[in-house]
Amino acid sequence: MLRASGLRKTYVTPAGDVHALRSFDHAFEPGKVTAVLGPSGSGKSPLLNLLAGFDVPSAGEVWLGDVAINRLPERERSGLRLRSFGFVFQSFNLVTVFSALQNVALPLGLAGVPRAERDERARETLERVGLLHRADHLPHKLSGGERQRVALARALANDPAVVFADEPTGSLDSANGALVLSALEQVALDGRTVVLVTHDVALAGRAHSRLRLLDGRLDSVDHGGATVPEAGLQDAALTGPAPTADRAVPLTSR
Amino acid sequence: MIAQFAFASLTRRPLRTALTALGIAIAVGSTVVFLSLGEGLRQAFDTGLAGLGPDIQVSYGVFDTTSLSSVPQLPQRYLGAIEEEAEAYGISAITPVLLYLRGSLAAATAFMFYGIPEDTDLGRLYRDYTIVEGRDLAPARVERGDDGRVPVVGPAVVGEQTAQRGGIAVGDVLRLNPSAAFEVVGIAVADGGLLDNAILVPLEPLQAALGAEDRLSFLTLELDDPSTAGSTAEALREAYPELGFQTRSDLSSVFERAVRISDVVRLGISAIALIVGGIAVANTMLMSVFERTREFGVVRAVGARPRFLMGLVLFEAMVLALVGALAGIAVGYVGALAVNQYALDLIGLDVAAVTPRLVAFAVAVAGGVGLLSGLLPAARAARVPIAVAVARE
Repeated sequence: MLRASGLRKTYVTPAGDVHALRSFDHAFEPGKVTAVLGPSGSGKSPLLNLLAGFDVPSAGEVWLGDVAINRLPERERSGLRLRSFGFVFQSFNLVTVFSALQNVALPLGLAGVPRAERDERARETLERVGLLHRADHLPHKLSGGERQRVALARALANDPAVVFADEPTGSLDSANGALVLSALEQVALDGRTVVLVTHDVALAGRAHSRLRLLDGRLDSVDHGGATVPEAGLQDAALTGPAPTADRAVPLTSR
Repeated sequence: MIAQFAFASLTRRPLRTALTALGIAIAVGSTVVFLSLGEGLRQAFDTGLAGLGPDIQVSYGVFDTTSLSSVPQLPQRYLGAIEEEAEAYGISAITPVLLYLRGSLAAATAFMFYGIPEDTDLGRLYRDYTIVEGRDLAPARVERGDDGRVPVVGPAVVGEQTAQRGGIAVGDVLRLNPSAAFEVVGIAVADGGLLDNAILVPLEPLQAALGAEDRLSFLTLELDDPSTAGSTAEALREAYPELGFQTRSDLSSVFERAVRISDVVRLGISAIALIVGGIAVANTMLMSVFERTREFGVVRAVGARPRFLMGLVLFEAMVLALVGALAGIAVGYVGALAVNQYALDLIGLDVAAVTPRLVAFAVAVAGGVGLLSGLLPAARAARVPIAVAVARE
């Protein structure tokens, strides 16, 4: 389980200290989508950076199981991100010189998986997001929705325990946004922890729980549950017909 | 993984990659041309020395790089003295040589005259000595008495390159000075380079023409066992302390020292081009790292260690440098051919040579340049802060 205790982040600037995160304690449940909500400047991005091990806290701890991530040297933190975390960013952040397949194979390659095996596994993962036919295309040849699905496939390539999604639908139209969100819900159903950072209240409404940040503090926790019934997620497919904004996106499991 | 990433990045911007590699190619090419001059001189010397083939060369006084001056200093009495003791020293043959350089502002009319006894076995002095036209030096007499004004005092055998360069043919008369001329009776070739520029004439007429009847430039000694050259030269030095005895390796080391000094000078000049090439690679890599900050941040976020990015940037810099080096070696090879074409016309020698060790040196230097120029960009890539990089637009 991913959890944070007494987490603080203060940036020292010439103009004075900036308290990006004043205090944060929470345990993120596996198998659930947890949305982190808040207005700009509320501390969402600093929190994500600390939880994901991109940055180290000024105080407090981030635990994955019984490992305090923030105490690990950078080399081991990199290894932990590689094995246990997956990332989906708002602007996709695909490697522009790599094809879709090579992007998905990147974490596998970094983990030392042999070329033939990583290509095979990357193809399988691309097939799961319905983009096998686009495997050899460079990112600029893909639509926004396709790029985000490639990013999702890359996040899942190493079978991580936690997937972080930072405004994953922010650059997408509503149809593709719904598609990606449904895929994240499916990821949670597979038993993974999904941390969804967003300022979109409607999007957060589909999460199992919502954390509201305000001025760097955890303002409220809402365990209201997902607005999309779990049964509705079971047999859907990302590979189905192009979604529309007002239609439920079918999903499928492997 | 690093290679796959690097090649994808380098081929994504082919023009920039090609221009950077071109910068290195020009730097390495100029280095190869400059250093090929030293290599060519070494080769010419090695083959020439092997062609001349004295086990020991005897001169008057201490040998140095100016000993082959045009002023003959060795009294001829030493020829007889050493001949008397030849058997005791294991000397199988002695050849007296009088060297005379007829200088000229025009290379085509500057000649090196070698006065040697006309009955000398030239095959012993010059490897694979062959007369390609006319006859050998012996007999030393010639039919013509003069060329109208200057008396013809003996025959001459001219090296093929000298003949071609000076437009000399069998039957021509070569004036040595206002009181003596030689009639060309043969054109010869031999392995190595020294005969190419030589005009062989009988010793005594040359001595007479130069007013040096009892003087020689040097003696060449052939030994029964060439491997004893060092100890024999030492024994001769004790017996004749006023003379200089140089073995082939002595001669090589003096020449090698001179060439090395010139190597350092030429390398210094080339270093400027190499530094410029290195800066080009560093600049390209720094730009590339800056442009790919977000990409590097993402790769780090996904789980790459800092040293992966460091390795990636260094690898790209090395690939640029080595591709540039290979192109540069090709450029240098063509440059060396052009230099040789010019030098052959001018002095009859191949002065430039692109040897395997020069190629290895060029590749090593380019690799070093790539490594050094990649270090700063690589360090910068490794320090990319993930949170900042992934948020960058």
